Amino acid sequence: MNQSSLKKATILMLCIVTGIMLSWEVYLRNTGITPSYNDDSPLWANQRARVYEAPDKAVVFIGSSRIKFDLDIPTWEQLTGKKAIQLAMTGSNPRPVLEDLANDEKFKGNLVVDVTEFIFFSDAPFYAKKPSDHINYFKDRTPAQRASFEINHFLESVFVFLDKDQLSINAKLNALKIKNREGVIPPLVFPLEFERTNLNEQAKMTTTFVTDTSINNKVSNIWHMLMSGPPPPPMPDSILLSICTIVKNNVEKIKARGGNVVFIRTPSSGAVFEGEKIGLPREIFWNRLLKETNCKGYYFADDPVLANMICPEESHLSPQDAIVYTQQLITQLNETNILHSSTDKTN
Amino acid sequence: MVFNSYTFIIFIVIMLVLHNLPLAWKTKKVNLLIASYIFYAAWNPPFVLLLWLSTVVDFFVGKALYTQENPAKKKLLLIVSLIGNLGMLCFFKYGAFLLDNFVHLLNLAGFDFHPAKPNIILPAGISFYTFTTLCYTIDMYKRKSEPVKSMLDFSLFVTFFPHLVAGPIVRPPQLVPQFETEHKATQKQLFDGLLLLTLGLFMKVFLADSMLAETANSVFSTTDKLPTIDAWAGVLAFSGQIFFDFAGYSTCAIGVALCLGFVLPQNFNYPYAATGFSDFWRRWHITLSTWLRDYLYIPLGGNRHGAIKLYFALMTTMLLGGLWHGANWTFVAWGGLHGLYLVTERLFKKDKRLITVNGTNISEEKQSNNNFLYAFFTFMMINITWVFFRAGTFAQAGHLLESMFGFAGNGKPLLTTLAIIKVAIIIPIMLLFQWIMRNTSVLKVAYKTSWITLGIVWAILLLFIIFAQESGSSFIYFQF
Repeated sequence: MNQSSLKKATILMLCIVTGIMLSWEVYLRNTGITPSYNDDSPLWANQRARVYEAPDKAVVFIGSSRIKFDLDIPTWEQLTGKKAIQLAMTGSNPRPVLEDLANDEKFKGNLVVDVTEFIFFSDAPFYAKKPSDHINYFKDRTPAQRASFEINHFLESVFVFLDKDQLSINAKLNALKIKNREGVIPPLVFPLEFERTNLNEQAKMTTTFVTDTSINNKVSNIWHMLMSGPPPPPMPDSILLSICTIVKNNVEKIKARGGNVVFIRTPSSGAVFEGEKIGLPREIFWNRLLKETNCKGYYFADDPVLANMICPEESHLSPQDAIVYTQQLITQLNETNILHSSTDKTN
Repeated sequence: MVFNSYTFIIFIVIMLVLHNLPLAWKTKKVNLLIASYIFYAAWNPPFVLLLWLSTVVDFFVGKALYTQENPAKKKLLLIVSLIGNLGMLCFFKYGAFLLDNFVHLLNLAGFDFHPAKPNIILPAGISFYTFTTLCYTIDMYKRKSEPVKSMLDFSLFVTFFPHLVAGPIVRPPQLVPQFETEHKATQKQLFDGLLLLTLGLFMKVFLADSMLAETANSVFSTTDKLPTIDAWAGVLAFSGQIFFDFAGYSTCAIGVALCLGFVLPQNFNYPYAATGFSDFWRRWHITLSTWLRDYLYIPLGGNRHGAIKLYFALMTTMLLGGLWHGANWTFVAWGGLHGLYLVTERLFKKDKRLITVNGTNISEEKQSNNNFLYAFFTFMMINITWVFFRAGTFAQAGHLLESMFGFAGNGKPLLTTLAIIKVAIIIPIMLLFQWIMRNTSVLKVAYKTSWITLGIVWAILLLFIIFAQESGSSFIYFQF
């Protein structure tokens, strides 16, 4: 092959790649999908680095996926004048993050902890893996990784196809749902319309998802599948006490540095809520947590506005309801020191 | 900085522009050196100091070694260099391991000693650049080559970013002369380099990270006993992953260097098509195996002093080669197993030679079929060694071997059908491809194909990289 052929091969390669990628991007945009940020370690680490802001300027949120959907960050920031730093992680236990913040002497801020009981009170390593990976990534982040994050998030804000969870080859292969042997845990495949993630880590359901019950059912079926099977044996009191004690110790470390901690229970509905009430009764788990940690807590069912909220897929709020929830949450938190830190009082 | 990141794309574009500007050669070399330090500092800036220290000490000690006539002083200088280089490597890489073993021995002897765990961060690529500088001082001691005249050329030889972190491990005569005269990529070199860079990224991003890593990680991180199919799928996935990851890195490194007009030595030559274990080591991590041959195996006596000494040299080389990979006894066992394979192969080859002398007539086709079967047998035996390489402990390796050979009873299924299908497709294709390609190279084949086919294949590779969306993950060999 001579040099002219090499040039031709390169030009052909560039034309094919550009043509296919542009067509794919245009197609995705025409289906109404908007860009979404990959909810991965670099994005989380970017938020984690912000927790050192002054307590009167920001509130940190940790939890599982619910608070990512239910807290509407623009509403929060508009009504409180404070930033919301979202450190919640999908399908993960927030206790390792609480411990990380408690052990970080530089963190002196206020913290809201969202409790999804079946994850929060679980010691399953699976729920702690992502927090552990994200925390280690934050601690070991290299200058090159920081630079790559800046480029990545710019590209992800421009191109829809850069959505690893939904549009990568592996995501598409997983969506084939090939039958597995009995006992194998399949990957959870969520519909593309379920959520888009913002740079501030807020997750939002798409309009199509909110209005299409058939897509809602695909997600609620996943929750039902996860909750199916024989109920686990009741948790021995000693284990519950040890979990609460660890949480209490971490809360006290934060309080000792002048911070405040509040627990919240965000809404769920339908069969999911019913299952949660049976599997992890409020009286045994939630009430015990508040008692042992001596912290304030807000359970959505106690608020008349929130009590009857319907989650489209029984576990997370729609963007419209997230605004209402955020407004009510701010009203509740006004009773605490979370929104009135010492600096505020002196002002 | 890793090759599979957007940061690197910007970095290399800037470097290509700078390298093609009408600047003096010395200025271009300074640019390359600064860029190499930035490339390295992008992991952990303070560790650049170690790189400087290693470079400066070895430059001056190397010169002194070459000119020193007094044998005692010469030996002393060599010892200084060895202590400097190996001491640094021992502290950072083996410090915690040595302390662990020391404490274990004391405890066994009845002493209750429990020191705090040292928190030592391993500088990226320390094993690679230590070997690069070591071979220079040893060559100077033996006066095998001339000392490098300029500090700039020597610094660039040690630090040149394509090979710095994970090889290929270069020798001074391979790279230093290229820095002495102006080098700029020809158009052909640029195309070759870009094609190799794409191929390397395809191997790393698509095949290693996207298709195989999760399966290997799942199997090697479980403590449960597994069904035979899951255990084999996990081990085969790791065989593929480590090859695509490391050979992918080397291919990228060679491609990037070529884009700038420099030629780095080949590091992989279709190792899974090896017919036998000595052939495997002629094809796998070639620059390390030749380094170990020249600076360890031959000085230990090689094959010049009878069978017993040969086997001793072989085993010692492989055990230390194993330890080079990581501070864990499992790596030593991996090296030891390879050593045993090589010794056994030598014993059998003696017999084979006798048969040939007796005049057994094997047709070429039959020989080729036998070779393929032998290559397959070699590959399967190599898979067993990977169990020790990847497992964190001997107990874990033992569990996995039990599962692989059906001694674990009814294990709990772990892998999805999709994961098993991926392994079942990729690994046979990889073996077949390597067998077909074993006597040629990608570039040779590329030049024989039409520009349309090359353009389409190149585009497919790039599209798979883009659709895999696996950027920024580290290469396995960085930890070594």
